[in-house]
Amino acid sequence: MSRFSRHRDRWLDKRIPRAKSVVLSQRSIFILPTRMGVAFLIVLGLILLAAINYQNSLAYAMCFLLGSVYAVAILHTWRNLAGLRLQSGRTHPIFAGEQAHPWVRLESRSRAHQAVALGWQRAAMTLDDVPARGACEIELALQSERRGWLRPERLRVESRFPLGLFVAWSWVDLDIAVLVYPRPLEGEAPTVQGGEGDEEGARVVGVGADDYRGLVAWQRGDSLQRLHWKAYSRGRGLLVKDFAALAGSDLLLSFDALGGDPEARLSLLCHLVLAASDAQQRFTLQLPGRTLGPGEGAEHQERCLQALALHGAPAERAAA
Amino acid sequence: MSLLTIPRETLVWLMVAQVLVILPHLAHLPLWIVALWLGCGLWRVRIYRMQASYPPGWLKGLAMLVVGAGVYLSHDGLVGLDAGVTLLIAAFILKLVEMRSRRDAVVVIFLGFFAVATSYLFEDGLLAGLFSLLPILALLAAMIGLQQSRLFGRPWPAVRLAGGLLLQAVPLMLVLFVFFPRVGPLWSLPQAQTRGTTGLAEEMAPGDIAELSQSGELAFRASFSGELPPRAALYWRALTFEQFDGRRWARGPSSHVMRAPAWTPQGAPLDYSVVMQPSGQPWLFALDVPELPGGEAQLMGDFHLQRSRPVEAALMYRVRSWPAAVRQPRLPQSVARAGLQLPAQGNPRSRAWAAELKATHPTPQAVVEALLRHFNQAPYVYTLKPPPVGEDIVDGFLFDTRRGFCIHYAGAMTFVLRAAGIPSRVVVGYQGGELNEAGNYVSVRQLDAHAWVEYWLAGRGWVRVDPTFQVAPERIEQGLVEAVPEERALFDDSAIALLRYRDIGWLNDLRLKWEGINYGWQRWVLGYQGDEQLALIQRWFGSVDYRALGAGVVGALAIGMAVLALVLFKPWRNVRDRQREGYARFEQALARHGVRRQPGEGPRAFGERAAQRLPERAEAILAFVRQYEAQRYAGQTADSVALDRALRRVCRQLRWRAARSRGE
Repeated sequence: MSRFSRHRDRWLDKRIPRAKSVVLSQRSIFILPTRMGVAFLIVLGLILLAAINYQNSLAYAMCFLLGSVYAVAILHTWRNLAGLRLQSGRTHPIFAGEQAHPWVRLESRSRAHQAVALGWQRAAMTLDDVPARGACEIELALQSERRGWLRPERLRVESRFPLGLFVAWSWVDLDIAVLVYPRPLEGEAPTVQGGEGDEEGARVVGVGADDYRGLVAWQRGDSLQRLHWKAYSRGRGLLVKDFAALAGSDLLLSFDALGGDPEARLSLLCHLVLAASDAQQRFTLQLPGRTLGPGEGAEHQERCLQALALHGAPAERAAA
Repeated sequence: MSLLTIPRETLVWLMVAQVLVILPHLAHLPLWIVALWLGCGLWRVRIYRMQASYPPGWLKGLAMLVVGAGVYLSHDGLVGLDAGVTLLIAAFILKLVEMRSRRDAVVVIFLGFFAVATSYLFEDGLLAGLFSLLPILALLAAMIGLQQSRLFGRPWPAVRLAGGLLLQAVPLMLVLFVFFPRVGPLWSLPQAQTRGTTGLAEEMAPGDIAELSQSGELAFRASFSGELPPRAALYWRALTFEQFDGRRWARGPSSHVMRAPAWTPQGAPLDYSVVMQPSGQPWLFALDVPELPGGEAQLMGDFHLQRSRPVEAALMYRVRSWPAAVRQPRLPQSVARAGLQLPAQGNPRSRAWAAELKATHPTPQAVVEALLRHFNQAPYVYTLKPPPVGEDIVDGFLFDTRRGFCIHYAGAMTFVLRAAGIPSRVVVGYQGGELNEAGNYVSVRQLDAHAWVEYWLAGRGWVRVDPTFQVAPERIEQGLVEAVPEERALFDDSAIALLRYRDIGWLNDLRLKWEGINYGWQRWVLGYQGDEQLALIQRWFGSVDYRALGAGVVGALAIGMAVLALVLFKPWRNVRDRQREGYARFEQALARHGVRRQPGEGPRAFGERAAQRLPERAEAILAFVRQYEAQRYAGQTADSVALDRALRRVCRQLRWRAARSRGE
């Protein structure tokens, strides 16, 4: 990031502070002629030259009329953004490498706003109309690369309506934040790390057939993966294979027990958390300085994935 | 713009604009352009319907070559205004076919604007000016279509918006039009060829002026600041003919002298302004003796006004004329010689008659009076259809046929005067004109073309005399049509239409009104150039101080923009966002108690956290948050009263807590 853009961002942060919902006003809208607007002025210059050289009043009048249209277009283009409310919604967490789809709601408080474009890059803007006193929702795409909070740069909202001679734009920070979990990496779960004096659990990972205890009746919430299809086909009803959930033999997923690059360890742990959740296994996640669980269910999984995502990051957003 | 395809309504409006742009140009475009236009238009429609593909590169190159060759052949070259405009229109037509992207469409639109501007160089009447608003409107609509987000919109909203933009632009345009400084041409450019302009020419045979007199086309209009002079006094000088070769009269040496001879103003002057139609000739029309404060033209050695360039566009000039002035009381040798020039031989009967007149009358003035008496009493007939005369045209006219037109009378009288030793010359120009009482102006048409005589008397200078008046006084007092009532069939369509209107009262009134509007347009719009602008500004502001004027214009433009902005934005109608204001107060109140909203924290999360921190107030806080969320996000109707009530409860309880904690 260059020094200029840092300065610009600081200036923008003061001028258009970050907020979930922003109403565009004179403080936040900028306007400049487009390339087409400059070309239009050149055409007007040519018409003016013709008017002067031929002493032709009508050519003068046409030049002035179009020049006035040019000036009026400034107001119209500006007005097309002014008063528009932008609001970001909650975005579901994703895994690193996936595309997040944050959406932004554009809401008109009085007049219609036509052809409003929204996007992070000028090349890929999404265009939509906001009806008068109505709203529209625009889904954006955001590529994630690393785990943690994905906070995109300021969003550009622009409009060239009605004539394309001017572009009015604003850079808004809609406080879009997407939680990015580590990319789940399948890998061999190491068995007991023997000889290290690690006495905390019997197994690092232990999802296996060994724990198979028998068949129990299916209940809502049981994973379909554990359905005993053979029994079903024999007409014994929906039965699930019940795995051992012996007290004390909970799965322990420990960061320290894994080897290799920390990011790779987090990725593997992510995969294991997902696998354990799928298998409806109780598990404990142990990260340096933090232990989650034992627990099971979607909420536990979410908390674990969040911890993995934010591992090592400053705890600023824990509340969110 | 991410979308590169051209929306349908843009295409529709571009095709409409093309028709509207080209229509006014048709009068001066070669016919093959129309064929090219139809072909390209059809092709474009087929492309749109996916029945044809875009033209391949070689075809585009070929089309350009063919157009270039066509323009070269039609206009004898590629330079010149007509050729340039034809090329421009051809480019406009061809570009529409090969247009694929929005950028191409922008190029077509800009070409269209320029083509509209060039149409004014050929036709700048009121109707043409009003009509040109249509292509401008269509082009603006096409521009709007390019910006719309949907590819298939309805075309009407775009044109409505374009109309709105134009209307809002009008006040600013008027300010600019009135105050933008007008300068002279920066460099000279090829002019539009004046097509088929009828009018007086450098030299004339008797038949020419008769032919001219059959056209009802307008030559010029003059409006007087004071009372209109009587019709019989309106002798508009254009040129003098000093040279006679036995058949034709032509300009002599003094009409090329670039200096006005001595003259003394006498009597009351007449102030008027003239708006002249393009004549393709460099001379202007005025009553004797003219002064031009604007300096548009030079008063020449024979008292006619000449400009350095031909009048190719409507021209307006102010004149002060001194009808009673004494002109050239002393005659230089060279002028006297020119005023007495006659061919070496020919017309013996006329020469003999002149000698006889000279012998029987003591003074030149008496000779002139005798001649006029002769025209008055002898059986002369005023006619547009003089019978053919023999080799000696003056003799044939004076003694055999005695039927002729103004130039015959003027030419014959000058011949006889010269033969009698009196310096004289033929003056051509216009006589009379149609008075428009309402507008205090005179419309002079080609059929008012006239020729008269001026002769020189020692001490009195040049004196005007009109032999036609002796033969057909109604020509001078009423007009040509009244003078030759049975020769109506000779007049051309425009003149006949004029005559027909004259016979129907209300239609004639209507025609005169329309004429008045056109004249106003010419005077106030087309004629609004340098001097007119200064005069107007002086009339409004007293004096012209350019700095103050510039500041005034900028100020006027700024005020105009501000008013327009107020009209557009209607700030008084801005709805206050009471919900957000309430939420902001809620946040402030909690912040005073140490609960600050985290960035990115939604209302519910924040409310729940605050409720945990301030358990005694939890109920009020959560009630407010629920109310806020319901109104804000669940689409419940905004009820600021309920929200206010919830907020007041929170604030009251928080205050109470603050008081209690202080009491502890």
